[in-house]
Amino acid sequence: MVTLDEVLGSGLLQKPSGDDAPEALQRQITNYKPLQTFKLEKTRPYQQQYADIYFLRLTKIRPAVEAAASAAWEGTMLGGEKVKRVERVLDVRQGELCWVAGTVYMDMPLKPSILEDVSKDRWISAPTSVGHYYSGNGDDSIMLEDDSGRIRLVGNALQNHFMVTGCIVAVMGTENANGEFEVIDLLFAELPPQPERWSVSKGKKGQEQQEDVEMMDASFSGNPSKPPSKKIALVSGLEFSNADTSYAMELNLLLEYLLGEALDPSIQHNEISHITRLIIAGNSISTTTAEHAKPAPAYDTTTPVNKFQPQHKKYGYDSSSYNPVPSQLFDNFLSELLPTMPVTLLPGALDPANASYPQQPIHSAMFPQSRTYMSAPKVGADKDAVDEEPGWFDNVTNPWEGEIEGWRVLGTGGQNLDDVFKYVESEDRLGMMEAMCRWRCVAPTAPDTLWAYPFQEDEPFVIKECPHLFFVGCQPEFGTKVIHGSDGQAVRLIAVPSFSETREVVLVDTETLDVERVRIVAE
Amino acid sequence: MEDYKTYLAENVLSEDKVVTYRLLSRALRVHPNVAKQMLYDFYKSQNTKKPGSVFATYLLYGIKKSVQHQNGNAMDIDLPSSLPDADPVDNDDVPSYTLALIQEDRLADVLKDYETIASIHVYSVGPHPAKDLTLLVDAAQSALAIKDDAKKPRPRTIVNSHVRRRERKGVGLKVAAAAVPVKQEPKTKAAPTKTAPAKPTPAPALAAPKPKEESKSATPATEPEAPAAATKKNAPPLKRNASAASGIMQAFSKAASLPKKAKPSEKSTPATEDTPVLSDDGEDDDDVPLPRPGAASQRKSRKQREEELRRMMEEDEDEEMEEEADSPAPEEEEEEPVVEEPPVKAEAAKEEEKEIVTTSGDGRRRGKRRVMKKKQIMDDQGYLVTIQEPAWESFSEDEAPPASKPKPKVASSAPPAAAGKAKKPAPKGQGNIMSFFSKK
Repeated sequence: MVTLDEVLGSGLLQKPSGDDAPEALQRQITNYKPLQTFKLEKTRPYQQQYADIYFLRLTKIRPAVEAAASAAWEGTMLGGEKVKRVERVLDVRQGELCWVAGTVYMDMPLKPSILEDVSKDRWISAPTSVGHYYSGNGDDSIMLEDDSGRIRLVGNALQNHFMVTGCIVAVMGTENANGEFEVIDLLFAELPPQPERWSVSKGKKGQEQQEDVEMMDASFSGNPSKPPSKKIALVSGLEFSNADTSYAMELNLLLEYLLGEALDPSIQHNEISHITRLIIAGNSISTTTAEHAKPAPAYDTTTPVNKFQPQHKKYGYDSSSYNPVPSQLFDNFLSELLPTMPVTLLPGALDPANASYPQQPIHSAMFPQSRTYMSAPKVGADKDAVDEEPGWFDNVTNPWEGEIEGWRVLGTGGQNLDDVFKYVESEDRLGMMEAMCRWRCVAPTAPDTLWAYPFQEDEPFVIKECPHLFFVGCQPEFGTKVIHGSDGQAVRLIAVPSFSETREVVLVDTETLDVERVRIVAE
Repeated sequence: MEDYKTYLAENVLSEDKVVTYRLLSRALRVHPNVAKQMLYDFYKSQNTKKPGSVFATYLLYGIKKSVQHQNGNAMDIDLPSSLPDADPVDNDDVPSYTLALIQEDRLADVLKDYETIASIHVYSVGPHPAKDLTLLVDAAQSALAIKDDAKKPRPRTIVNSHVRRRERKGVGLKVAAAAVPVKQEPKTKAAPTKTAPAKPTPAPALAAPKPKEESKSATPATEPEAPAAATKKNAPPLKRNASAASGIMQAFSKAASLPKKAKPSEKSTPATEDTPVLSDDGEDDDDVPLPRPGAASQRKSRKQREEELRRMMEEDEDEEMEEEADSPAPEEEEEEPVVEEPPVKAEAAKEEEKEIVTTSGDGRRRGKRRVMKKKQIMDDQGYLVTIQEPAWESFSEDEAPPASKPKPKVASSAPPAAAGKAKKPAPKGQGNIMSFFSKK
C-alpha cells in the first residue's frame, strides 16, 4: 500500500536543485561468445533429401537412449519373462518382451502431409493454418521407426509423455496380436552432459573478469558493499508495426527503460545499468498491414485457389505492396539503444529471414542505421575466418547457441515450440521445453512439420551439450522453471512472452540465472 | 537554469504541445533526471498559479500487489501438468515489476495497488489530460528526432565505454566511392545531352567520390554489390568509345547523330544506349563489329573483314543480332538509306545468307548466296550430330516475285524483304545492325 503523500516531494518530485548534472553511469558488460552451431553456408544446395536428417538424428541420439534404457531395463523380469534388447524395429517378435529404440512418427489426419500434397498436385506449399494437429478422437497413431521398419505403438504409458514426430525414444513392451507394440515403459535420452561454466571462453575468463572487477570498482566506489549482479534482458515479439499502434507507447517506454532514461537515479544505478545485453527472440517486425489486419491470405491453405488470383499482382518487385515503416521503426529503436547496450537479434516467424529452420540472420540491409554496430561483412579471403569478436549488434541465427558470462545459452524464436505444441493436447509449454531438452533435440518436428534445411552432414538440432539457459521467444505468456538432470545438470527454462501481447520484458541474472519480469503499462 | 520555464511555457501553454522529460532533456541538453524535476516544478508552479492549467502523467516503477498474486496462482495451476521433478517454487519466486504510465487523476488510485514504489517521476506535462496516448507517442518521436550535435552532446544517463562500431576497412573505401555514382544518376542522365550521347560523363562520376572518401563517416554504408554494378554499367560504354572511336569518328558520330535524332527524349537516349551495353557486358563486347561510319571505299574493305569475322561466329551472332535488332545503336543510322540486306531473324532463318550478286539490272538479280545448310551425320560413336556448314547456292531473281512484295519465306525472297524492311526503319531513325553487313 502506497499513498500519494508518501511519494510526493521526494526524489524526482521536487524542484531541480540547480546542481550540476549527475555523472553518466557506466553500463556493465558481460562476456559474450556466440557459437556458430546453426550457421549455414551461403551457397547451400537444396537438392538433397530429408531422410538424412532422421538418420543422423537417430545415429546421434540412439546411443544415449540405449544407454539409458539398458541401465533401466537390463535384467528386468516381467511376469517371469526377462526383457530382451532388440536391435531393430523389424526384429520385434510377437509375444516377446523386449525393448527397442527408434524415432517417433506421429500419423495424424490433421497434420500437413507432403504425400497428400503431391497426390493432389499441390506444388506450392503454404504454412499450415491448423492450430492443432492433435485431433483427440483417437485417429492419431504413434509409430516407432528406424531404418529397418515401422511399428505402431499403443498403450497407456504413452499418455504420460509428450510425443511428437522426430523424437528418439526407447520403448519396452510386447507386440500384440494386431501387430501393435504394447508399450509398458518409455524412456528418453534425458539431458545431455552439461559443460562447465566458462567452458567456451575459458582462456578469456581471467582477463575479462579482471576487467569487470576494475569496472565495478570504478562504478561502485561510493558503495563498497556487494554489487548487484548483472542481468541480461530478454524480449520477443516487439512487432513494430505501422498499422497497430496500440502498444507504441509501451515500446517507447521499453526503450526509455532499457536506456536508463526513465526512473530515478537509484534504480538507474542499481538496476538498469546492470542490464548488460538485450536479446530479441524473434518477431521484431509485424507484417500485418492496415488493409488486412488478419493474417495474410497466403497462409490460408484451405482455399489454395485464392493465392492464384490476387487483384493487382505485379510481376517482380511491387513497391506498393512493401511497407518499409515497421523495419524503419525497428531500426530506429535499435540505433537508439545500441550506443549503450549490445543487442543480440534472433529472427522469428514474422521477420524478413528465410522461413525454414535454422533461420539465418536478418540481412544487415534491413538496418541502415544500426548496422554500423554489426561486425563487418566478410569478404574474399577471410570469408571463412572465424570472427574473433562478435558484433556489438549481433544478428544471429534462430535457433542460436552462445555463451553469456560463462553460461551456455540456447534460444529460439519460438517456431519449434509452437510446432511441438500443435502435436499435443497439453498447454504446458514449459513442459514441452523440458521435453525438448530431455529428447536432446531443439526442433524434433523439423523437417516433418517445421520447415527445415535438408541437412546432409550434420544434424545441428541435436543438443550435444546441455545449456544452462534455454529460452524460447514469442510465447503467449511468461513462464520459467528449472529442471535437473541425473548428472547434476540444471537448466533454466524461460518462455519469453510476446511483447506485443503481454508488454513484458524478462531479466535474467547472469550469476544465479534467476529471473525477473518487468511489465510495462501505459494507460 | 530558468530557461526551462520559458521553454515549457512556450511549448505547453502557447503551442499546446505535450512535453516529455526526454524531449525537454534533448531540447535543452540537460540530464534526463534534471528534466524530470523541471517538469515537476513547472507543473507545480503552474497549478498553484491557476489550477487545472497543465496536466501531468507519471511514470511509476514498483511491485504491484495484485498482479504478483494473480500470476503466481495462474502459474501454480499450470505447473502440476508438467513433469514431476520441476521446481515447484520457481514461478512464485519470480519478482514482477511494473513500469506504468499513469495520468495524474488516477495516480492516487493506482498507487494503492502497489506494494512498493521504487521510483516515481513526472513523465510528461501537457495542456490537456492525456487521454490519447498517440500524443505522447508523437512527443516521444519528436524527442528522437532531436539529434546529437557534436558541440553539445546530450547528457546520457548510462553510457557504455565498450561500444564498438564497425570500422571501415578496404571495403568501406570502395563502398564510399561506389555509392556516389548511384546518387548522381539523375545528373549523369541529364549530362549526355550536352556531349555525345554515348558518353555517360565518366569524369564527374569518378571525380566525385574523392571528397566523399575523405568524409567517410558521413556517407552511409551502402551495399557493395549494387554500386559496383552501377560503376560497371557506366564503365563499358566509356571504354568502347575511347577505344573504338578515334577522334575523327567521335566527331563524326557526334555530328551525325545529333542532327539526325530529331528530338529523342533526353532521358531515354542514354538509357537505350546503356541497355545493350549492359547485356553484352563482359561476353561479347569485342565480338560486336563496331559500326564505323566512314568513306564508302573504306566501308567495303571493312565489310569484307566483318564478313569474315561473321562467318566464324555465325552461331553466336545469330543471337546477338536479335538483341541488337531490338535496340539498335544510334550510330548506325546514317547507313540506313543504302542498305538492302535482309534482317535475318535467327529463329526463322535456319539458314543465313550472304549473297554475291553477279548481275543486277531492271529488278532482276542473279548470283550466288551463302547458305547455312544443316547436315545430320552419324559420328564414329554412333551418335547423330547435326552440324551447320556454309554452302554456296546460286539464285536468280527470276524465281522471286518483284521486289515490292515482301514474302514471309525468307529463303527465297530475302532481298526484297530486306529492301522493304530496311526502308521502314530509316525515317524513324532506327537502324538494324544487320544492315551494316550488307552489300551495297
